[in-house]
Amino acid sequence: MSEEQIIIPWDLDGTLGDLFVPEYIVEMANVVVTYYDLQVSHMEVITTKADKGGLIWKIETDKGPMSLKILHRRPTRSLFSLGAQEYLVVEKKAKVPPIIKTKMGENFVEMGGKLWFIAEWIQPLEPVEKSLEGAKLLCSAIGEFHNLSKGYVPPSGAEMASRLYRWPKTYKKIVKKMAWFRDIAKAYHEMPASSTILAVIDMFESQAIKALQMLEQSAYFQLAARGNKEWGLVHQDYGWSNGQKGADGMWIIDLDGVAYDLPIRDLRKLITGTMDDLGTWDITWVKGMIDAYQETNPIEKELMEILLIDMSLPNLFYKNVKELLFEPTVFMDGELETLVNRIVEMDKTKWPVIEQLTEEWKGVSSS
Amino acid sequence: MASDRAVNRRMERGEFFMKVLIICTEKLPVPPIRGGAIQTYIAGSVQSLSKDHQITILGITDPDLPEKETIAGIEYVRVPGKLLEIYREGIVHFLKDQTFDLIHIFNRPRLVIPVREVAPNARIVLSMHNDMFKLEKIEPEEAKKAIAQLDKIITISNYIGKAITELYPEAQSKLQTIYSGVDLERFIPAYTEKGKRIRESVRREHNLEGKKVILFAGRLSANKGADVLVRAIPELEKNHSNIALIIVGSKWFSQDDITDYVAYVRALAARMSVPVITTGFVAPEEIQNWFCAADIFVCPSQWQEPLARVHYEAMAAGLPIVTTARGGNPEVIEGGKNGFVVENPEDPHEFALHLAKLLSNPNLRNEMGQYGRKLAEEKYTWNRVVSNIASVWREMEQKIKNKIAIGSTNDATNEDLEAIATEAENELEMNAEMADVNSQLVIESGKEVLDGIIETNETKESGEMTEVLADAEEEIIETPPLKKIFICYNNPPAKPWLKVNKKEKSRKR
Repeated sequence: MSEEQIIIPWDLDGTLGDLFVPEYIVEMANVVVTYYDLQVSHMEVITTKADKGGLIWKIETDKGPMSLKILHRRPTRSLFSLGAQEYLVVEKKAKVPPIIKTKMGENFVEMGGKLWFIAEWIQPLEPVEKSLEGAKLLCSAIGEFHNLSKGYVPPSGAEMASRLYRWPKTYKKIVKKMAWFRDIAKAYHEMPASSTILAVIDMFESQAIKALQMLEQSAYFQLAARGNKEWGLVHQDYGWSNGQKGADGMWIIDLDGVAYDLPIRDLRKLITGTMDDLGTWDITWVKGMIDAYQETNPIEKELMEILLIDMSLPNLFYKNVKELLFEPTVFMDGELETLVNRIVEMDKTKWPVIEQLTEEWKGVSSS
Repeated sequence: MASDRAVNRRMERGEFFMKVLIICTEKLPVPPIRGGAIQTYIAGSVQSLSKDHQITILGITDPDLPEKETIAGIEYVRVPGKLLEIYREGIVHFLKDQTFDLIHIFNRPRLVIPVREVAPNARIVLSMHNDMFKLEKIEPEEAKKAIAQLDKIITISNYIGKAITELYPEAQSKLQTIYSGVDLERFIPAYTEKGKRIRESVRREHNLEGKKVILFAGRLSANKGADVLVRAIPELEKNHSNIALIIVGSKWFSQDDITDYVAYVRALAARMSVPVITTGFVAPEEIQNWFCAADIFVCPSQWQEPLARVHYEAMAAGLPIVTTARGGNPEVIEGGKNGFVVENPEDPHEFALHLAKLLSNPNLRNEMGQYGRKLAEEKYTWNRVVSNIASVWREMEQKIKNKIAIGSTNDATNEDLEAIATEAENELEMNAEMADVNSQLVIESGKEVLDGIIETNETKESGEMTEVLADAEEEIIETPPLKKIFICYNNPPAKPWLKVNKKEKSRKR
């Protein structure tokens, strides 16, 4: 391993297996741990982001179990997230894993062009039950997280990671990609899923356009204008695995993607993902989740409107279909056709739920 | 370094030798060992400018460059960069114990005020290569203050100037467009002896003999519009079966991150009945060969771009141009003479109309190409760029000499103006002495990003990527992929696109 060795993604075609780690990275890990006042007795690869150059080990040390992570993002970007994690633990006593300092008192080690850090391995930690009660636990936990993260200021040298002002851009991108999907489905019209996609693409495209219009007419711009610090951080990758039950309550882990944003982005993703798992939109669940969230982080009326607008995007369709761009001849098979049909059916159950929520929220006065 | 002779000559004319500081951007180092349009532009101009002035270049540190060095009389000072905040600190620290007559800042209005605070008496000139005055880039209050402190704002197109005055009309009197240049020795028309040889060799190598070749060169991003060009092909295929499309772009083969957009374009391209050649990363010193091999150049830009350098390169290579009515691009097109301007850039049909006209008329192609070459020779040489910058500097010199207030533009007396005009004439005469500029540029100019200017904030396509508020108008050149060229002649089938197990991944639930 030379000193200039840069970590590069190592498993581009996905053939090496989830837990494969190149030898030079293992060697680096052995060097990195020497920066810490820890005796490591065992290392175990937990998960890899091989296509991006990220990795998590569980390490056994004389001071208990820890996680050792390579953050795959740019160092200046990772610095933002590490600062956030420290802020939440130290200033706000939030239940996120505390960062272990190096012998030099730093939060991280820089090697191979990436930031590495060690944090406590929280245990016991277990996923919440797959039920409405479990969903509520997840919601109130992320609400608290959002609440506590307000006021965070990144350390000097860190990038400002913010998606707060980018909502219209993100919506426009979805609108644009609908046209791409159509173009590809037309160009590969012989594929099994093509005709199904072409049959529904107009509908989903107009949903996206309408959501964009609604966003632009909403209070979004006024809300965003309050600024990053005021809103605080959004996890951006929150779900059933990154919020887990510990001995004394809910813990939130894997903070490396945090960015300033409107908090309801996490909530919306959690709701859509959960509805996808249920296979249908269920008003009891959605209301239960929103209410649980509000217990720890109340949603004002204008923000609730944006939550509803964000739900009205064709999120599920977009997420599941966008991969067709990569290998249309493989991806647009019968399986995708079935999936799209399922999404269309689910979509029908979404609108009554949104409508009912809209009705119920109409009379509520703004906080 | 200015020779004694030059110094003496200028002293005789009653001029003095200015101490000039050039401040680069915080993204990439100078000399441009990692590419970068602005870095290349600076490296390409300073040799000649240093004949009459003592130049210091302040840029960012790089593992492969010392923190301080002097090359050919030019002093290089490097401070930590990448983030503007960090870079700004380094600049301020450096300037605290230094004095300069003129400070020429590149593309960073946000550096003007901090520089002014530690350099109260220097003339400050700002060169704008992108629309960095827009609201998300600089607070209006700071922008106004910065403009007041500037003696000149150089822009690379009228469009950039207009973008500034739309927000800040008071900048009007300080604006001066200096169009960029092209290396006429490197980009040569196929009708020259050497050009013909290159053309034949490239065409032989890639099985393009007898084809009418349409060329795109630029980043593969939605803003650059390669997809619209690809979508224009089916309409052209009907009447022109012997065409081929070459896409020269660095993102195609990027190993670790194929964007949705690249995937989209290549999925479209794979369905054409005519050859679509996607070169992937092309070594900078070889890029002109593709221009030589082509018959028509297309710039299908969808965004308001400053003015893509590829236009100059296409002109120099004697190619007729089809470009779009976006940003500064139409400024270098004389409609129907060296190219056509597409008024609705999102419409493939409009591209097809212009292209069909050119494809079916070889004489028209030749005429327009030759006219383009003539324009490049007359208007878009590096000598002219350097001499324009030199006369701006001379104007600053006059202002210093005549003690004209900093940041003022209109109180120059008639005599001053006459003096400046005379200077400009002298400058032209001196161009003969600068004849070696071209050879300097041959080495460096190829290193720049294909189109020179990169749109801001265009990060990865992935919706999950956290966006960053940093400026990103420069692109770091990607490392050449292992496999350099993939040719899909006579496609389909379009095969060994880098296999990505996207399907697997996305369906894992």
